[in-house]
Amino acid sequence: MGSAIGQIAYYLPEKVITNKDLEEQFKKWEAEKIFKKIGIAERHVVDGSQTALDLAYEASVKVLENYKKEDIDFLILCTQSPDYFLPTSSCVLQDKLGLRKDSGAFDFNLGCSGFVYGLAVSKGLISAGIAKNIILVMSETYSRHIHPLDLANRTIFGDGAAATIIESSETEKIYGFVLGTDGSGMQNLIVPNGGMRHLKDPGAEETINSSGDVSSANCLYMNGPEIFNFTIDVVPVAVHDVLEKNNLTLDQIDYVVFHQANKYMIDFLRKKLGIPENKFFMDMADTGNTVSATIPIGLKKALDQELIKTGDKVLLCGFGVGYSWGATVIQI
Amino acid sequence: MKKKDFYNELIEFLELDPVDLDENTEFTSIEGYDSMAVMSLIAFCDEKFGTKINAQQIQKLTTVGSLMDFLGREKFEN
Repeated sequence: MGSAIGQIAYYLPEKVITNKDLEEQFKKWEAEKIFKKIGIAERHVVDGSQTALDLAYEASVKVLENYKKEDIDFLILCTQSPDYFLPTSSCVLQDKLGLRKDSGAFDFNLGCSGFVYGLAVSKGLISAGIAKNIILVMSETYSRHIHPLDLANRTIFGDGAAATIIESSETEKIYGFVLGTDGSGMQNLIVPNGGMRHLKDPGAEETINSSGDVSSANCLYMNGPEIFNFTIDVVPVAVHDVLEKNNLTLDQIDYVVFHQANKYMIDFLRKKLGIPENKFFMDMADTGNTVSATIPIGLKKALDQELIKTGDKVLLCGFGVGYSWGATVIQI
Repeated sequence: MKKKDFYNELIEFLELDPVDLDENTEFTSIEGYDSMAVMSLIAFCDEKFGTKINAQQIQKLTTVGSLMDFLGREKFEN
């Protein structure tokens, strides 16, 4: 049994931080310069105690507006910000959404590669006859991990959730995958404290880097240069390999949606791969980098703007924290 | 590559305000040399010289000349 992407919906929390807000608070970067370089004008962030599960719920309700929720028999939630260590957040979400009790549900913890991995697992579940119609939700709240005085990371990351329905299909519309993992990069994008390896430390020392960004071991740390180097290493190879795996050439691909990390980085990768601008989705202006949600949000925007149409072959590539990466080709 | 051309390409690629650079210019003294410029520096080394420069190597850079040493002095002429 084949599988196909059905509907997609996304939800962004209400509170918006604009580049102007950051310029006024930090008096360091100009709003216009930020937008020009990294393509981000504003990012949505959760307020108070809102969690990734709350965003996942909103996105799921949206996607189920025009769908019979009784037909959903599996729920997968990708988040690195679960409500609890236990119980599993997708179990809580199943109950909140009123999904069938004879359905499967689990969380998995990935970031920027999450959507591609989620598609891979969904395809497997459907082709093995384990599920028929899956709701795959990406939801992230990196803002809750970032130190309030860490300008660099507050500029880049936004919160958001996207829910995608993956349906069984007569024809296979989710093609072959290439997946990759390199845990030697673990220190380059990490929240050191708060898990079981190092508990959260109320007395954690605050550090200031050479750019003046404040952080601590309780907060998200990202080594930008190392992450960029990692993407230069793996993304071109992943794109080449996924085309080869699917017996396709770049010319046969109608559109490309990469993880929307930041404009500068992905435009560099685009040029390196020789992907024409009109075949490449690049828009993180009103969302920032929403981690695992960027690809489904990008697909939804591309569909709404008619940048892609039914029948198009779309190459997806997610890459980042882990390090973890994956690529696939889908037919819309 | 002529040194003058290298300095100009570096300024353009890093989107720095026009400034007189020479090999003794300290990176930290260049207006606008921030974490966004560092991203451009990585892209510059890769695209123009086919060379990877990692975070540690970037940290060690002092002057523009130290970058030229890293890329290989033999690549530059007066």
